[in-house]
Order: sequence, then C-alpha cells, then structure tokens
Amino acid sequence: MMDSLEVFDVESAIASEQEFYRKIIEDNLSSLKLAPAIGRIKVVLRPEDSLFQMAIILRDVGTRVTTNDIADMEAKPIAGEIIISIKKEQYIPELLGKLWDRYGKANISQPDRWTVTISTDQPREEEAFLKDMMVADPRHRLHENLVDFAIRVTPEGFRVRYHLYKGNQFIFVASEEALKHEWIEEAGTMLEELMKGGKK
Amino acid sequence: MAVLRPYLYTGGVYKHGLLIELLEDLGGYIIQQVVTGTEVNLIMLIPEKDVSVVKKQSDELLGILVEAPLTGVEIAVVSPTLASHHLPHSACDTAEYLRHPGANTNMIGLARGMGRRVSLSMDYERKLINEHDIAVFTFGSFSDCIINKKPKLFEGIEIPIVVTGGPDLKTEEVPGADLYVGNIGRTSHRLRKTEEVSALDKLNEEVGKIANNIRKQQAKDPLAVLPARVMKEIENQVPEIRTVLSPSPLTLQLNGLRVKLPYDEFHERIEKLEFDEGVILSELASISRSKMKNYILIKIKSKSDVGFTI
Repeated sequence: MMDSLEVFDVESAIASEQEFYRKIIEDNLSSLKLAPAIGRIKVVLRPEDSLFQMAIILRDVGTRVTTNDIADMEAKPIAGEIIISIKKEQYIPELLGKLWDRYGKANISQPDRWTVTISTDQPREEEAFLKDMMVADPRHRLHENLVDFAIRVTPEGFRVRYHLYKGNQFIFVASEEALKHEWIEEAGTMLEELMKGGKK
Repeated sequence: MAVLRPYLYTGGVYKHGLLIELLEDLGGYIIQQVVTGTEVNLIMLIPEKDVSVVKKQSDELLGILVEAPLTGVEIAVVSPTLASHHLPHSACDTAEYLRHPGANTNMIGLARGMGRRVSLSMDYERKLINEHDIAVFTFGSFSDCIINKKPKLFEGIEIPIVVTGGPDLKTEEVPGADLYVGNIGRTSHRLRKTEEVSALDKLNEEVGKIANNIRKQQAKDPLAVLPARVMKEIENQVPEIRTVLSPSPLTLQLNGLRVKLPYDEFHERIEKLEFDEGVILSELASISRSKMKNYILIKIKSKSDVGFTI
C-alpha cells in the first residue's frame, strides 16, 4: 500500500521556478482535495519548449459507497420516520442530495451535525432500500477532479493536450504547439519510473 | 496655485461631516467617500499648508490620517486572460493592494493574452489600457516567458508599464518595462506570506514613485485646470452623476478624469461645463468617448497648449 504523496517531484531547469510550480500544484491538490488520492506524482516543465508533462499514480480510492458504509440507520414505524446516524461526515452533501430528491426537502431534517431524520409512511421498506443506495462513486469524482486539476495546473496557453487515464495511472501532456510523439513517450517513461518507486 | 497633498482618513461615521466641512473651507477636495457600517474612509486632497489643521481635526475625531500617494491615479491591472489560472490570485490581490494607497484600479483581462507564441493584444485593448495612467501587467512564473515572449503585449502601450512576475529579475532584463517586481507570480493561494506581502509593498512603493515622476513632469508644464476641480464642477453642474451606481462615478486620473455617464446623452453638458473664470471645459480639455463601456473620458490639456491655467 502506497502512502499519499509518497513521491512528489517537480522538475524544471531553474530551481526557483520549480518551487513556484510546486506550490501551484500543492495549492490545487488541496483545493480539489486530491492529495489523499494521489500516491506518486511527477511533473516536468520545459517552458522553452512550451511543454508540460505530468505522470500520476493513484492510490486505491475504494469502490462505490452505500448508505450502509457511512451511517447507521434505525426505522421507527410508529413515529413514521427513519433516523440516520452519520459515521463518515465527508459524504453528507451527496447523501442529502439523494435524500432530497427521493423524499423532498420538507421531509428531511437535520437536528444536529451527525443526525438526519426522514419522515415517511413506510419506514421499514425505505430503510431496506436506503441500505444499498449508492451515495457516492469516488472513482467517478476522482476522474472529474483529476482532469480539472490537470487543466488548472497547466500554464494557460498550453491548449494542445493529451491525457490517458487507465486503472490507477494518469498521464497528462500539454503544449502550445502540436504534440510530438516523444513528449508523450517521455511522459510514459516518467510513469514507469514512478511505478518502480520514483527516481531517488 | 495651491499644492494639494493626497491623504486617506479612516475613522468613525460620528461627526465625520466636520472634517468634510473643514476641508471645503480650506479649499481641498473629497475624492472618494466610502461609508461601511460605522466606519468611513475619505480620500481627499488637502492644501499642503493646511495639512496640520486637518490632522488636528482628525485626531479630535480619533480617526487616522495617512498619506495616500496613489490618490487620483487610475491604474490598469492587465492579466493575460480572465481564466482561473490568474484570478482571483494573483491579479486581484495585486489590484486590491494598489487600492490601499488610494489608487483606482481596473482589471483588464486580455482576450488572447495567454501563452507564449500565441499571445497577442487587440487594438481595442491597447487603446483601453492607454486611457489609464499606469499599466500593471501580471505575468507568471517562468523567466523565459517574461523576458522573451510576453513583452510583445507591451507594443502600442504609451503609458508607464509595470510588470509583476515570479522570478527575481532586474527591470533592465524585461524589454519595454519601466519597472519589474518579482515574487508576485502565478499562485493559487491568497498572497499573504511575508515575502509576498513585502513584494506587494514594494510594488506600491515603486508605483508611487512612478506616479510622483509623472506629477513632477507635469509640474514643469502644469495642466490648464486641476482634475479635482473639474470633478467638483461636474458634481455641481451635472447632478445626475449622483445617481450613478458604478464605483467612483468620477474617477480621477493624473491628467484627466473618467465620467461614468453615457457619452451620447451627457457629452455636450460636460463640454459646456462652466468655470468661475468664464471658460468652459472644452477649451481646457479634450472630451471623448471612453473605450470603457460608453463612458466619457476627459483629458486635460497642458498650459503650453491652452495658453493659461485657471
């Protein structure tokens, strides 16, 4: 199992510029909350060639999350409600979104940070349904964020882009000029190095 | 002609009218008045010999009076584009910081300013930038781009050019720039670390020097009328200006002002603006349609042009 950001390399000809860029990448990783999902990352900058290359190895981010994974549920047939006690707070926005769609906002209340109550006529049946309801798909969200991240960190003028997302590997190459084959191959080599644990 | 010094007053709303009355009695000008809740910010021009009188009044009101060297200066903060790569940090931070010493800043995002080979500016954009007193270009982190590629954006810019960027370069290294300030490159966080804030402080200081140089140059051949006086006359003779909701409806510049009223409807009244001396504004200034929205741009002629000052 990889640690998050086990390897974090930024390479550029001028050391100070490398540091600026490292900071830009760090800021964007944290604003997109991507840091826990990335195991190893390497970025190579060659402004003189108008070239930006990035290779990322992702950590195992787990599979789909159901309500059961993030909360305990209790049906109260007499009161006509279901009480959900949240265990993992990070998925609350998604959970609430799904519940609002299904039951309407008026029937959902949140008496405190960790509790959500649903008013319904069929608490038992609904409880059974909710147990297996998919709340979030981290892989889907990850892909979206990863593409967003790549575009945010790339210099803005580099509009010709190539990206590859396969399993836990992600390659991104961007330039202002038509992309050369060797640039993409170089990014492939960067990825292979990362697989071996990165150049130390 | 009395020499006016720019000052910024910050204090409570309570009795701040006393200060305004005093300033009017002394012959100074209020440039901008911002009331936020219980606080008031006044940007004003005070006759040099009366600064101590105003200071005394400000002390009585327990307010703070500081010099604001960029008062009456309109600065264009030019970002390569308006994409999230440059905004809100660092372009907005730069623009906001320049406002502290009294400047009015406008953010201008070029349509196609990004990139190295492909970056360019349009005629319209250059004219818009040239309406200002000083242009601040906010560039990125690579010295190669700043030195070799980006300066083509300066072509056709006739006002002083200030460049901000990440690397620590000398002004001479950036072709076409009148000033380069490092450590303000592309960032995705708010500029608040010590070295970033001190870079912004340096920017303010150096831009202040540029503004002072322009003022000194102007002193050799003074303007036919002070922009602040035109401002006051517009407030008196064109009362519609009070209904304008844009920030600073009358924006002072070093050699003129921008009037945020529609050109077609108001330009004749502005041209016929009367002064006590018996002259009208069109004799002292050129009045044209601004490239910014449909505003009116007044550029005041110099004494050598008009033959007299009032």
